[in-house]
Amino acid sequence: MELSKAGMKVLMLEAGSAVNPAKDFRHTFLYQMDYRGLGKPGLLRRYSGAERNYRIMLDNEENPYTTAPGTNYHWLRSRVLGGRVLHWSRATDRMADYEFKAASRDGWGMDWAVTYADMKPYYDRVESFIGVSASRDGFPQFPDGPFLPPMPLNCAESIFQAAAKSLSWPVTHRRLAQLTRMHNNRPPCHYCGNCINGCDVGAMFNTVAVTLPPALKTGNLEVRTDSVVARVRMNAENRAQGVTYIERYTQKSVDVDAKYVILAGSTLENTRLMLLSAKGGLANSSGALGRYMMDQVSGGGVSGFLPKLKGGPSRLDDGKSAGITIPNFQNIDKKTERKDFIRGYVMNATGGQTEYPYFASSLPGYGSEWKKEVKSRYVAQARVWIAGAEMLARKENFVELDPEVKDHWGIPVLKIHFTHHDNDRKLIADFQEKAETLFRKAGGEILGAPESGGGTRRRHVLGGSIHEVGTARMSANPRDGVLNSFCRTHDIPNLYVFGGNAFPSTGDKHPTLTMMALAARGCDRLLEQAKGNRV
Amino acid sequence: MTTRRTLLDLAVRAAALPGAAEFFNVWLHAAQAHHSSAPPEPPLLRSYKPRFFSSEDFAALQAFTGILIPTDETPGAREAHCAHYIDFVLDSSTGYAPEMQNQWRAAMAALKQTGFHAAGKAGQEKLVAEMSRPERENGATHPAYAAYRLIKQQNTFAFYTSRAGMIETLDYRGNSYNETFPACTHPEHQVVD
Repeated sequence: MELSKAGMKVLMLEAGSAVNPAKDFRHTFLYQMDYRGLGKPGLLRRYSGAERNYRIMLDNEENPYTTAPGTNYHWLRSRVLGGRVLHWSRATDRMADYEFKAASRDGWGMDWAVTYADMKPYYDRVESFIGVSASRDGFPQFPDGPFLPPMPLNCAESIFQAAAKSLSWPVTHRRLAQLTRMHNNRPPCHYCGNCINGCDVGAMFNTVAVTLPPALKTGNLEVRTDSVVARVRMNAENRAQGVTYIERYTQKSVDVDAKYVILAGSTLENTRLMLLSAKGGLANSSGALGRYMMDQVSGGGVSGFLPKLKGGPSRLDDGKSAGITIPNFQNIDKKTERKDFIRGYVMNATGGQTEYPYFASSLPGYGSEWKKEVKSRYVAQARVWIAGAEMLARKENFVELDPEVKDHWGIPVLKIHFTHHDNDRKLIADFQEKAETLFRKAGGEILGAPESGGGTRRRHVLGGSIHEVGTARMSANPRDGVLNSFCRTHDIPNLYVFGGNAFPSTGDKHPTLTMMALAARGCDRLLEQAKGNRV
Repeated sequence: MTTRRTLLDLAVRAAALPGAAEFFNVWLHAAQAHHSSAPPEPPLLRSYKPRFFSSEDFAALQAFTGILIPTDETPGAREAHCAHYIDFVLDSSTGYAPEMQNQWRAAMAALKQTGFHAAGKAGQEKLVAEMSRPERENGATHPAYAAYRLIKQQNTFAFYTSRAGMIETLDYRGNSYNETFPACTHPEHQVVD
């Protein structure tokens, strides 16, 4: 959008199909679907997602990937115009300097090549455009922005907020790219709670509803869907000449040339393209391409009930699909330093009525009394989960091309090497303890599943979240990374990479806002370059 | 939930905002279509004839699911066609999930072993009470406990994802168009004990 509005002619190539939110996204109740949201048995092995949203996810048979022995990593992907912002959790948190400069503080990894001061104008610009509903609280580790009014808290969230305050923990409303009032000609949220299946009115940020329409309106943007980019082509002057893509259904190979090439097809797909485009990888003089793969650590959590809410009336508790957030409050400065682990995590909590009472089959008993108990607890459900825990950047976590496996179009796929550090496990263990502390402070009652022996804790399975970043990290010095602070490759002056590739560390915030701010900053630099004809 | 009055108010506001009409037209159209109530359940299960289970097993499953989720002041498994749904899913899994089908065959065989199929209503209720004991009593066992758990899990899912369970029993409010989100205003929720 930034480039086409500035007058540049832009060709966007999308490997997936187009969607029209107003027509393709519907409010569908589980009972309206033959398989109640689960899809026909066996088919979900093929498609990511569920019966409601598999069309905006991905066909795993067409798009395989492999993992190295010892790697437990589930890569959740989407191939459709708009990609994963069509079904994201909308969490829109700014990173802070304690994250950008974490390496200087604790010695692990590398500082970012940007500071909060560099990023702030772009956070402001992005948030102002997309609309973020949030509360301004003044927490230095959770910087505020030009927010819309926050979404009100439901009863369970109010109780959790009170519990967090009584523990002297910071607490705020979840910050969401979801409108609480008319904003930039977009309607407010109508609180259906259906966000992950695609928003039919564009009240939650997604590129199809928010950035593409103004970009297309300029007449400078052409979008070609079902176009699977296979490689970046180079010319003799060490410039990106353009790309080759394969038409998804005809398998026809097409070359297109451009003055600038931007890879923005999601973090690992970007890296895959760079690995496919030159022996040893494109723009890889540092040797860092593919290396330092990270994904925020997730797992653990507590679920159960808040007795204060039992037997209460039905309310629209899950209509905003939100909650409260407890920003990280450990290892943010000397005073909060922990001796047993470095970095930190953000917690979320919510509760109340949900579409399906997941606890019901675990509740002992049956019959009319059981039904009454299910209904009584249905409105009192509660859960605490981890929003994001920082995973340490390690060179031995990397992606490479699998020499044996190719996708539907004959393009080699990624092989993922991914394991966790002991620090990752310590963070999750600490989160688990804190989550239970919060739950107890809220007066919560924990219910375990009979099959798991009635345990009160969720399993700590580490193996992939949905926040994969790294593999082409930014660096001040070209020897240390692939990208500069504007997400342009150090080695090739007209090749930019937008996504999570640039992240030298995960931080503990959801990464999407920072990806968007980095892209806006990169576009500014590209436009400056173009004006000066420096490329 | 959004009322006709608020929809009209929104339409007036939309007309006053340049560029907003397109989005609001979608919003209003969808809201008008949805604002009244949750839509009816599709007819699939009402006319469904069991294909996976034998008639004897199906009758036993229907009786079992009805004991687990009886009809009382709200609908039960029978009104929600839970046994039909379980049969439908199992029949659909032919060629895809043989392990799931085998698990159910084993469960129904275990159930038959207990005498459930041949028992009268009172006998069946007594058998379910015995089978479910391990759920409540530490150390208790029953050879058909796994069958009880399997049927309970699938019956629970079938019931609470049906209109009878989700809307008519639990009164689920989501998946609707609303002008505002109902904030908690309870003083007792703003403090912890």
